[in-house]
Amino acid sequence: MSRERLVESVVYQSALLLDGRDFQGYLELCEPDFRYVIGAYSPEIRREMVWLDHDKAGLQTLFETLPRHNSDHSPLTRHVTVYRVEVATDGASASAISALQVFRTALDGGATELYAVGKIHDSLRIADGQARLSRRHIKLDTRMLGIGSHIPL
Amino acid sequence: MSRNAEEWSKPPRFPSSHYVDTRLYTDEGILREERERIFAHTWIIACHESEIANPHDYRTFQHPAGVGLVVARGGDGAVRAFYNICPHRGNVLVHDPSGSARVFTCIFHSWTFDECGNCTGIARRREGYQERLTPADVGLRRVRCEVGFGGFVWVNVDDGAPPLRDFVGDALDSLLPFLEQPLEVFHFQKVVVNSNFKLWHDTNSEFYHDYMHYFNRVTGMQQPGYFERKYVPHRNGHAAVGSMKVRYDAYQGGAERQVGWPGLTPGGWILVDLFPGMTYNLRTSVIRMDTAIPLAPNRTLIELRGLGLKSDTPEERQARVRDHNTIWGPFGRNLHEDFLGVTGQGRAMRDAASGSRWVLHAREESNGIHDEIGMRHYYAEWGRRMERSASDPFAERAQGDAAPAPRGAVKS
Repeated sequence: MSRERLVESVVYQSALLLDGRDFQGYLELCEPDFRYVIGAYSPEIRREMVWLDHDKAGLQTLFETLPRHNSDHSPLTRHVTVYRVEVATDGASASAISALQVFRTALDGGATELYAVGKIHDSLRIADGQARLSRRHIKLDTRMLGIGSHIPL
Repeated sequence: MSRNAEEWSKPPRFPSSHYVDTRLYTDEGILREERERIFAHTWIIACHESEIANPHDYRTFQHPAGVGLVVARGGDGAVRAFYNICPHRGNVLVHDPSGSARVFTCIFHSWTFDECGNCTGIARRREGYQERLTPADVGLRRVRCEVGFGGFVWVNVDDGAPPLRDFVGDALDSLLPFLEQPLEVFHFQKVVVNSNFKLWHDTNSEFYHDYMHYFNRVTGMQQPGYFERKYVPHRNGHAAVGSMKVRYDAYQGGAERQVGWPGLTPGGWILVDLFPGMTYNLRTSVIRMDTAIPLAPNRTLIELRGLGLKSDTPEERQARVRDHNTIWGPFGRNLHEDFLGVTGQGRAMRDAASGSRWVLHAREESNGIHDEIGMRHYYAEWGRRMERSASDPFAERAQGDAAPAPRGAVKS
């Protein structure tokens, strides 16, 4: 498998794992120094905003504590398209930009609505025929997220 | 024991001050009257001064009385507010939510206005209006505007309302020592929920719902001092809650917050609810400001702001943003739960046929943290301004006065 294909595979796999709420599987795609950020630019206050910023341990805690919180249990479905993959000349790292659309399906009745759109900016390391995420920065276009969610995108 | 329909619809066996009729949250006529009697005469936070930091900066705001405003900082540094309406054909004058402009130009027919609301240009005026209309006839509608109490920009569409200081009274006295340094907004989020604006304010006015927040149970409710916090009612329907030491390290993966707030005890927390729908919430390292804007009886726009100190270093700001997001960000632990709570109320009250008529505000614990005095105090003010009883809103008014009458703040 080419390095570009490896990268695409990780991006798609990460969406599938989160859709399936396989949070441990998602973390296994990540390097130990993984950093996860969700942000958005606010035209109202004319600033870049950070809405979630976790290292791997922080994400692990977030996932572990989910059962203790009251959450909306409507499933989220991610639609991802990898737009661009750039592999470093030494082949040991790569970056990817993907389009992200997230849909929420109500438990009662199953109506689906668009929840958020944005872009995923990933950095990855490649070794031993595997690519792993070292940084994920989701830049949201959508800023009205309704009642929100405890689940990362 | 469960109850039959008759038992379910009976008023609670509490004083009428201790429960409200749910039609307060669902009735179109009530909201229309709230706009006329409350929002059209009340000081409301439109934005923060840091959002219009430079001369000629502007910011738009959807006022809860039902009119769009534009708030602008002039070249002289003064902040002014106007209806965001071109007086020519009623179009929106300023379309973007923020920006910088020395002149406001209506895109429709190119009429122009300066930062003081003066009309400065009417395209082909003489050809069309001859001498029948001059720019002096068509200035913008100016709205009263004051900056204060932490640098917030307050507006009041009633030209005759008492000044802001009278409206706030002493409600913010416990917080003022911590609002002396210039603040800066780092977080802004709009949320539309299917629920009444008062229900959101109710959520901010009672801490009994900490049972819904796992984070608050372990960092607050289980810690010493939690039940010693008191609600203090203030004039004009406002209420404040005293501080305690929050143990952020009691939450899994949590740690004591690295940055505090000048003068505030580490882990401190002060909350002030302002009638009819604003809340200052200083929690250890961050201020959150909520402004609830009714869109319909069962639909509310909530503007959420997070603020730090303007003097923050990048490291301090990063820490405040992290602290904010842990509980109050769109993916935070508490905010989502609060929205679940208030939209659940909205769903349950939407169906009038359910006969779900009463909401209890009846907890009495010597004004302690789980006492519901905050809501009782709010609805007493609501009743005063609306000339209706919150527990029996459709009873005939004592004086038979069905016509809306402006009701302002009680002066000190």
